[in-house]
Amino acid sequence: MSVGSQPPYTKPLAARIANGGEAVVITHEDVDRAHDRVRVSAARARRGFSSRAKLLWLLVGPGVLVMLGENDGPSMLSYAATGAKFGIGFFLPFVALTFCMAIVVQEMTVRLGAATHRGHAELIFERFGPFWGWFSMVDLGIGNFLTLITEFIAIRAGLGFFGVPPWIAILIALVILYGALVSHRYWTWERITLAAAAFNLIFVPVALMTHPSWHSVGHAFITWRPLPGLNKDTLLLMLADIGATVTPWMLFFQQSATVDKGMTTKDIRFGRIDTVLGAALATAAAVATILATAPLFAHQMTADTFQAAEFAQALQPLIGRFGASLFALGMVEAGIVASITISAASAYAFGEVTHKPHSLNLPLGQGKAFYSVLTLCAVAAAAIVLIPGLPLVYVVLVVNVVAVLAMPPALVFLFMLVNDKEIMGDLVSPVWANVLSTAVVFILTAAGVLFGISIIAPNIFATLGGK
Amino acid sequence: MTPREETPDLISNADQQLALSSLEHDQLVHAKKYFIPRRHLKGPELLVLWALRIYLLFMMAVVVYQVWIASH
Repeated sequence: MSVGSQPPYTKPLAARIANGGEAVVITHEDVDRAHDRVRVSAARARRGFSSRAKLLWLLVGPGVLVMLGENDGPSMLSYAATGAKFGIGFFLPFVALTFCMAIVVQEMTVRLGAATHRGHAELIFERFGPFWGWFSMVDLGIGNFLTLITEFIAIRAGLGFFGVPPWIAILIALVILYGALVSHRYWTWERITLAAAAFNLIFVPVALMTHPSWHSVGHAFITWRPLPGLNKDTLLLMLADIGATVTPWMLFFQQSATVDKGMTTKDIRFGRIDTVLGAALATAAAVATILATAPLFAHQMTADTFQAAEFAQALQPLIGRFGASLFALGMVEAGIVASITISAASAYAFGEVTHKPHSLNLPLGQGKAFYSVLTLCAVAAAAIVLIPGLPLVYVVLVVNVVAVLAMPPALVFLFMLVNDKEIMGDLVSPVWANVLSTAVVFILTAAGVLFGISIIAPNIFATLGGK
Repeated sequence: MTPREETPDLISNADQQLALSSLEHDQLVHAKKYFIPRRHLKGPELLVLWALRIYLLFMMAVVVYQVWIASH
C-alpha cells in the first residue's frame, strides 16, 4: 500500500482500520480514484523520459485548470482594459508578478490537499470551527456567485460579436458545462476542461497580429516603464489585475481538485510543476491580451467601459475580422472554463461543509446534492444575465476588486492551516515560503487600503503627483 | 482490513481490493467521517482574524459606495 509521510492525526484512523476493528465501505468514488492511482503508480515505477512525461501528463490538471480558469471573463476584460489604457509598459511585468504571487499561494493548497486529503472548506470548518468556517463560506459564496455572473456576461458578449442571441449563447455555455460532467469521472471532466482551457492561448495569435514592438516589450519587462500616473483609475486597474490572478475560489478549487484527483504526498513535486506550468500559460495569455489591445492605446481610443464584444469591434479595423473573431472567441472560452471550475469549487465547498458526498467521480444517484449545487449555481448566474435592464456593468467592474479584498482573510486561514504541524506533519511551510506568503498578504491588504483611500479621498493622489 | 462483502453499489471484490491497496487509508471516502480535532485559536490569531474581518466589511462598504457613485 502506498502510504506516504502521514500527518500525525491520521495515525489513529489508520490503526483502527488496520486492526480490523470495523468494516470499511468502499464506494464507486474510491474505485474510480483507485484506477487513476494505479496508472500513476505504474508510470512512477518505470524509469526514463517517457515515463516521467506520462507521469506529468497523469498528474497535471488542478494547477493548470485553476490558473487558466482564473483567466476568466472579467480577468481578460481587465487585461484588455489595461492594454487599451496604458499600452506596453509597467503592467506587463506587474501582471507577471501577480502570477508569481498566485504560484506561492496555490502551492500551499497542493501541499494541504495531498497531506490531509481534505478540502479547504472542510479543513477550515473542522480546525477552526463553524463560526470562522461560515465567514469564509459566505466570502466564497458571494464572490463565486458574482464571478459566475460575469462569466456568463463574457460568454454572452463574446458570442454576441457573431450575432448569437443571448439566450442561445447562455444555453451553449450550459450545455458545455453539463457535457463536461456527464461521464461522472473526475479524470474525464478534468481532461475535457483542460482541452477547453487550452483555447485561452488564442489571445497569443491575436497579439501577434497586432505586430507589437518587441523592443518595447523587452524594455517594459526589464525597467517596468513607462510608469502609469498614480490615481484612482490606475489603482482600480492594478487591483483588478491582482484580482485577475489571486482569488479565494482558487484556494478552494485547487485543494478540492487535488483531493478528488487522489494526489498524495508523493505527488507534491508534480503538483508544483502543474501549478507553475498553469501560471506560465496563464501569464502568456494575460500578457498577450494586454499586447492585443495596446494598439487601442496607441490610437488613443477610450476603452474604459468596453465589454468583450466592444473590444473585438474596436480591434477589427486594426487586425481584421478574423483577428477580432479570435478575440471574441477567447472571451467566450474564458467565460466557459471559469464557469465550469468556479461552479465546481462552489459544489465542492458545499459538500465539504455539509458532509454530503462531493466528488466528480460520484455517479449521479449518489452525488445528487453535489451535482445539484454545481448546476444550480451555473443556471442561477446564467438566468440573471438574461434579465433585461439589469445594470450588470457594475458587477463586472467590481468583481475582481471584491476578490482582492476577500483574499487576505482567506490567505490567513490558508497560512494557519499550512503551518499546522498537527495536520501537516513535516510538510509545514518552510520559512522562505512563510515570508513570501506573508508578503502576499501585506501586498493585497495594502492594495485594498490604497483603493479605499482613492475612493474616499481621491484628492490625496492628486496631491502626491497623480492626475 | 475487512471490506464488506456487499455494498449498496455492488462493487466487485476485485475493485474493493484494488481500492484498498491503491489508496492511502485516509483517502477512502469512509475515512471522511472522522473529524479532524478542533484547534484552539490563540489571542494574536483571533486578533488578526477579527482585524481582517473588520477590514473586509469596511472595504465592502467602500465598494458599495463606489458602485453608488458610478451609478449616479
